[in-house]
Amino acid sequence: MQQISRLSRTDWFGPLLATVLAIAIIGSLSKNFLSPYNIQILLLAIAVNALIAFAQMIIIAIGQMNLSVGAIGGLAAISFAGMMEVWGLPALPAALLALVIGLLCGVLNGVLVRITGISAFVITLATLSIYKGINLGITEAQPFYGVPAAVKAFGAATILGPIPWLLAPTIAATVALWYMLRRLPVGRFILAVGSNDHAAGLSGISVGATVVIAHGISGFLAALAGILVVARLQIGQPSIGDDWLILSFAAPVIGGAVLAGGHVSVTATALGVVIVAIITQALVLFSIDPFLVQVVLGALILAAVGLNKLRARDTAKGSL
Amino acid sequence: MTLQDATYSSGTDDSPLGPRTGLSRSRFFLSNEFGLILLIAIFAIIFGFATKGFFSPFNLFALGRNSAVNIMIGLSMMSVIVTGGLNLAVGAMGVCAAMVCGWMIESLGIPWPLAIAGGLAFGALLGWINGWTVVRTGLHSFIITLATMSIFFGVMIFLTKAEAFRELPPVFTEFGRARVLGYVSPLLLVTLVVAVLLAWLYRGTVLGREMLAAGASPAAAELSGIRVGRMVILCHMLSGALAGIAALMLVARNGAAIPSMAGQLGQDWLLPAFLGPVLGGTLLQGGKVSVLGTVLGAFLVTMLTSGLLMLQIGAFWVQSFLGLMLLVAVLLDKARRSYLARRNLA
Amino acid sequence: MKTLNRSVAAIALLCAGVTAAGAADDSTLALVPGGPHPYFAAWEQAGLDAAADLGLGEATYKIPQKWELAQQNQLLESLLSQGYNGFLIFPGDPVGAVSTAEELAGFGAPVIAGAGCYKDPSPAAFCLGTDTGKSAYLGAKELIKAMGDGEKRIVHFTGFLVDPNTQLRIDAVVQAAEEEGATVVQVIADIDAPEPAEEKINAYLAAHADEVDGIIATAWVPAVVAANALRRMGDDRIHMVGIDHDEAVINAIKDGVIDGTMIQNPYGQGYIGAYALDKLRSGCTVKDDAPFGSNALTTKFIDSGTAYVDASNADSYLDTMRAETDKILADFDATYLNCE
Repeated sequence: MQQISRLSRTDWFGPLLATVLAIAIIGSLSKNFLSPYNIQILLLAIAVNALIAFAQMIIIAIGQMNLSVGAIGGLAAISFAGMMEVWGLPALPAALLALVIGLLCGVLNGVLVRITGISAFVITLATLSIYKGINLGITEAQPFYGVPAAVKAFGAATILGPIPWLLAPTIAATVALWYMLRRLPVGRFILAVGSNDHAAGLSGISVGATVVIAHGISGFLAALAGILVVARLQIGQPSIGDDWLILSFAAPVIGGAVLAGGHVSVTATALGVVIVAIITQALVLFSIDPFLVQVVLGALILAAVGLNKLRARDTAKGSL
Repeated sequence: MTLQDATYSSGTDDSPLGPRTGLSRSRFFLSNEFGLILLIAIFAIIFGFATKGFFSPFNLFALGRNSAVNIMIGLSMMSVIVTGGLNLAVGAMGVCAAMVCGWMIESLGIPWPLAIAGGLAFGALLGWINGWTVVRTGLHSFIITLATMSIFFGVMIFLTKAEAFRELPPVFTEFGRARVLGYVSPLLLVTLVVAVLLAWLYRGTVLGREMLAAGASPAAAELSGIRVGRMVILCHMLSGALAGIAALMLVARNGAAIPSMAGQLGQDWLLPAFLGPVLGGTLLQGGKVSVLGTVLGAFLVTMLTSGLLMLQIGAFWVQSFLGLMLLVAVLLDKARRSYLARRNLA
Repeated sequence: MKTLNRSVAAIALLCAGVTAAGAADDSTLALVPGGPHPYFAAWEQAGLDAAADLGLGEATYKIPQKWELAQQNQLLESLLSQGYNGFLIFPGDPVGAVSTAEELAGFGAPVIAGAGCYKDPSPAAFCLGTDTGKSAYLGAKELIKAMGDGEKRIVHFTGFLVDPNTQLRIDAVVQAAEEEGATVVQVIADIDAPEPAEEKINAYLAAHADEVDGIIATAWVPAVVAANALRRMGDDRIHMVGIDHDEAVINAIKDGVIDGTMIQNPYGQGYIGAYALDKLRSGCTVKDDAPFGSNALTTKFIDSGTAYVDASNADSYLDTMRAETDKILADFDATYLNCE
C-alpha cells in the first residue's frame, strides 16, 4: 500500500499509467494501431518531438524558458541542408557544423541572459526573431532540395523491425540527459540553480556558467531535432521549427515539470511526448475532425497541469 | 511561480510611483519614453533621406493605420503584464471576438454598433475565462494562456469551418480607408483615445492603482484589503476587450472578419504584443506600467518595419533587424536603469 | 541629393495621383505573391523575362516575408509609396485583400490578380489563374481512370483550411467521385506545412492503407509528402495523382511511384500578368465583352492553363506550359483589350 502511494508520487507514474491505458484502449478499438508500420510512424514522431521537449525541459529546469527552440532548430536544419547542397559537404561534417551552430545559438542566449540579467523570456523572444530572420534571409523562404541519398536513406531506415534509425540519436540524448541530471555534478548544479539560484550561488556553484551550459544544451538538442527533421522530410524546409513552441512546453508540463524550475524528470517528459504522439495519431486514426486537434492539445495541457497541481496538494497533505 | 530571472531583482529599479521630485526634468531626459522619442526622430530622418516616398502622405497614412493595430495589440498584452502575468492568447482572443462580431452581423442580422459591442464583450468573456482559471488554479498565466490559445482558436475554427464573414456593412471598409486631415487614419485616433483612457485608468483611478498594487506585490495588496484575484480577472478581461478592438480594427482595414488574420493560433500577434510593452519599459514582473512607452514602442517597431521595407534591404532580413532592435533596446534600458541607480546612490 | 529630388518627385507624383496615361516604358511593376511558397518561384524569372522582352522599367518579384494578409498589405503600401505603378497580386484573402487593391487602384496603378482571385466587386482588371476546382476535378477523374475497375476509395490530402481554394477543391473531388461511382473516404486538410503533413499523412496511411485505393493531393506540400510516403511503403496497389511540379513529385511519376500530377502555369501567370499590366498602363482598357470565364469568386477569369502530366510527358512538362502561355498571349490584345 505504502509502495503504491510512493509510486503515485513520482513524476513518471501518472504519465506511464496514462500511456499504458491509452495504448490498451486505442489498441483494442483499432487493430491497425499496433501494426508494425504504425509503430514505426509513432516512433518517428516521438524521436523528433522528444528532442524538442528536452530542449525546453533543460531550460525549465533552471527556472527560465526558451522561446527560440524552434528558431534554433530551423536554423540548424537549413544550415545542415544548405551546407550539403551549396557547399557539397558530406553529411557528417555538415551535421556536426549544424550542431555547433545550434550550440552557439544556445550559448549566445545563455550569455545574454546572464550578463544582462534580463528575463530569458525577453532575450529568447529577441533571439527567436534574429535566428528566424537569418534563416529567412539565407533561404528567402525557399527550401533546400539537395539532401544526399545517404541522409534520405538514414531517415527511412529501420534498425530492427519497426524501430527507425532516427530513434538512435534520441535514445542516446535521453540516456545522456538522464545520467547528467541524476549523476553528474553539472546536473545537480542545474537543478540547484533552478530551485534557488541565490542559495546555489552561496553554496559555491557558478550560477553564470550553469545557466550558459543549460542554454548551450538546449540549443544543441534543438539543432539535433532540426537535423532529424531534415532526414525525415528529405528537404531543408525553412519553416521547420515554426510550430514547436506549444509542443515543447506540452510534454515537460505533462511530465510534471515545475515551471519555476528545479524540478524536471527526463522519464516523465519522454512519456509526455509519447502521450501527445499517441493522442495526435489516435485523432487521425478515428477520423476526428481536424479542426478539433488543437482543442484537444490545449485541453490536454490544462488537464495535465491541473492534475499535477492536485497531486502536489495531496502530497503536501500526506507529508503533514 | 515567477517568470523573470531572480537575478533581475537586484534592486536597480527606480521609484515606481513617478518622478515628482526636483530632478523631474532631467529624469525625463533619462526616461525610457524620451529615449524612444529620440530614436523615432532619428530613424524618421534617416528613412526620410535614404528612401523615396517615406514622407509621402500615403505612406504616413499607412504607417498610422498599421501602428494603430500594433499599438492596440501591445496595450492588450500590457494590461495583463501589469499583474506580472502574460497573455499568449491575445491573437486567438482577438480573432474570436472579431468572428463573433461578424457572425452577429451576418447570421443574426444585428445592427453593427451592437455587434461591435457584442464582439468586445465576448473578448472580455474569454479574458474572464483566462483570469478565472489563473486565479482558481494558481498556475502561471503563461501555461494557462498557452492552453487556452489552442482551445479558443481551435473551437473558433471548428465552428466557422475557417470561413470568413465577408458580407459586412460598408461602414467598416469606409472607416478603414477614411483619412482625417489628409493623412491621419481614424483607426489611429481610436487607438490614441483608448491609450489616453488607459493612462487615466492607471494614474487617476482607484481601480487602476489597485491593479498595479496587485501586480507589484500580491501579498501586500491582499493585506491592504485589495481583492487580488478580482484584479487579476479584471486585467485579463481588459486584455480580452483590447485584443477585440485590435481585431475589429483589422476587420475595418480588410472589410472582412477572417479567421487567419492573426496567423495560425493567433501566434503572429505575439511578437508585436511583446515588442511594444517591453520596449516601452513595462516590467514583466508586473506592478509598473507605461502606457506612453508602449504606444511609442509599438510605433517605433511599425516605423522600422516600414522604413526597412522601403530601403529594399530584402524583406527577409526585417525580422532579424526587429529582433536585434529589441535586444539593443532592452540593453540600453538596462544601462539606463543602472546609471540612474548609481546616481541615486551617489 | 539625387535621392531627395527623386523622393520629392515621387511625393509630387503621388499627390497628383498617377493616371493610367503614362508612357509604357516607365512601368515599374511588382509581382507580389501571398507569401513565400515554391509555387511562385517561377514569377521571378517571368518578371525578369517580361521586363527584358517588353522594355519595362522593372517587373520585380516581391515576396511578403510571411504568408499573412497584414504582411502583404504592408508590403503593397510600401511598394506604392516607393513608386511602383502596376501590380500582379495573389490576394492574401479574396475579400480582405480587396480594400488594399482599391487603394492601389485609387492611385491609378492597375491591379491584376494572379494565381488566385479577388471576390467581385474588386478593382482588379481580371483574374489570371488556375481554375482550382476544375484542376482538382480533372485530377480526380484521372485518378479514377487510373484505378480502373474494382473498388474506388479515395483519400484527399489538401492544404490550409483558411485558404478558400481548399473548400473548392474538396467539393470538386467529391463531385468527380460521385459521377464515377467512387467514394471519398476521408479528407485530411491543414497540412500545407511539411511537419504536420508528414505526421498526419503517414499516420493515416499506417492505419488505413488497406482501406484506400487512391490518393489525390491538391496542395503542394501534401503532394510531395504523400509521394514520398508511397515510395517508402513500396506500395504499388494505391494510385495517386498529385499537384504541381515539385522535383519529388515529377521524379515519383518517372519512377512509377505515382500516376501523375496536375500542373499549373505559374510562369505564364507572371509573364502574361506583367505584359497586361504594361498594356493597361499605356492606355489600353479591358473589353466589356471579353470572353472571360467565371468561377466562385469572379466573373472576370482567365484560365492560365492546367494540364495532366504522367510518365509519358513528365520530361517535357515545361514545354507544355510555355506553349499554353504563348497560346494565351498570341491573341491576348485582340481578345481582351481595347487599345487606342
